[in-house]
Amino acid sequence: MASIASLRHVSIGQYIAMGSVVHRLDPRGKLICFGLLIIATVAATTYTSNVLLLAAVLGLVLLARLPVGYLLSTVKPAVPVILILALMQLLFYGGSADAALLTLSWGPIHIVVGRDAVRMVVTSLLRFLDLLFLTSLLTNTTTHGELTRGLESVLSPLNALHLPGHELAMIGAIALRFVPILGEQMESILMARESRGVGTGGSSRWRVVRNAQQVAALIVPLFVDAYRRSEEMMLAMQARCYRGGRGRTHLLESAWRLSDALALGLTVLLVASVLALQHLPFH
Amino acid sequence: MTSYDKGTRRVITAGWLLAITLLLTLTRTGMIPVPTPAANATVSHIPAIIGGILEGPIVGLVIGLGFGFASFMSATIPLFKDPLVAVLPRLFIGVTAALSYAALQRASKRTLAVMVAIVLLFLLAFSYEVSKTIAWLGPIIAIISVAGAAFIYWWMRREDVRIVGLAVAAGVGSLTNTVLVLSVAVLRGYLSSEAAWGIGLTHGVPEVIVAAVVTVAVVAALRQIGSRRGSRL
Repeated sequence: MASIASLRHVSIGQYIAMGSVVHRLDPRGKLICFGLLIIATVAATTYTSNVLLLAAVLGLVLLARLPVGYLLSTVKPAVPVILILALMQLLFYGGSADAALLTLSWGPIHIVVGRDAVRMVVTSLLRFLDLLFLTSLLTNTTTHGELTRGLESVLSPLNALHLPGHELAMIGAIALRFVPILGEQMESILMARESRGVGTGGSSRWRVVRNAQQVAALIVPLFVDAYRRSEEMMLAMQARCYRGGRGRTHLLESAWRLSDALALGLTVLLVASVLALQHLPFH
Repeated sequence: MTSYDKGTRRVITAGWLLAITLLLTLTRTGMIPVPTPAANATVSHIPAIIGGILEGPIVGLVIGLGFGFASFMSATIPLFKDPLVAVLPRLFIGVTAALSYAALQRASKRTLAVMVAIVLLFLLAFSYEVSKTIAWLGPIIAIISVAGAAFIYWWMRREDVRIVGLAVAAGVGSLTNTVLVLSVAVLRGYLSSEAAWGIGLTHGVPEVIVAAVVTVAVVAALRQIGSRRGSRL
């Protein structure tokens, strides 16, 4: 039952109010910096660029005064899976034989651990840490309201191209707003089932069909309920003359300050140096 | 209905379906435990499929984007902490589902039977190709595809064409997810191609079946089609 009760409190990363410099940055600037850093992280394939990125991101986490141990604790249950996947990557990546660091032969089995495979595993683990910290940095230092407002103004250039920038932000805002309500709904479905003696957990993972039936019985009513509510919401919005994003203003306007420009400048510099490091002769 | 109203409906439907996606992805209630190393098959991609079918490819694309982003944000293994694996392939789930639903809406049963036969031929040729490189995998694929085709043919004869279209669209959307994610994972070097095949078979097949069952149940209830006409679930 404890797991059922927690459903309504779900969110993408909890906002942790620490009042640091990072918390006070403009959400638009934060989103742009986040996007740039993600691009740099995906592009980085060498040791040096990954280490530089990790150092920078870790510095940001400390600057935001977020508890590093807490951020890492979310991956604790997945550590065995991560290790198994890393090992498989290491052993079966293949690569050219002349760059082999280690060759194991045992009867018909030949396992070659290449230089490329080691680099692949190390950089993908570093990249994982980078992205873990980056996603936490965005969601733990920005409230949902700020995030959707920031998203709307970052997407506003799309409106000029007749693409639905406002609509995209609106979809995001609706989704974030209604996750708790749907969570509550799911909770009551689960409780209704539990009270009628239809257990939710404890079934063996070999009983795939049964497990699938259980999940389907949970989410089909959820969909139908959500659709009914969305019809009601559409009526309510039409009654209030909702006409899309044109000419809408906001109650709260965020102001672009010197610190935001500085943060953006530093991020661009960091991303440029990571991309430059990619092309250096030594790795 | 004016174009404004249509736009509003799309925005709201997309918002609600995205909310379901977020709920399923973040609470892990949308996970079906299966006996494989990766441990769970997902149903979180179903809202993207349903969005595509109900409101068209653009809504499907937006929900797919949200799904990719949620799975990227909540990932606990390196594979899904890569936006190229987590976000990019997910964009196409709703789009392929919507397009195949639109294509199949007016098809007759004979056309569907011919299409099943063509797909079966392709799969058999493909399994022959696979058996040249990975010997044990070819016959397995061949057996699965023949059994699947026989089942689909039997089922198609007794169901409404629109229900068949829904199920096929859901299957296509689900396969889009499995195939594209695993292909990008192999290209980015996270998985060896043999491991990807194993995951694809053990996860892809149950996911397709669950996606088809759930999508048919939901959309048939909402659109009031097939034998479920008038039922309220």
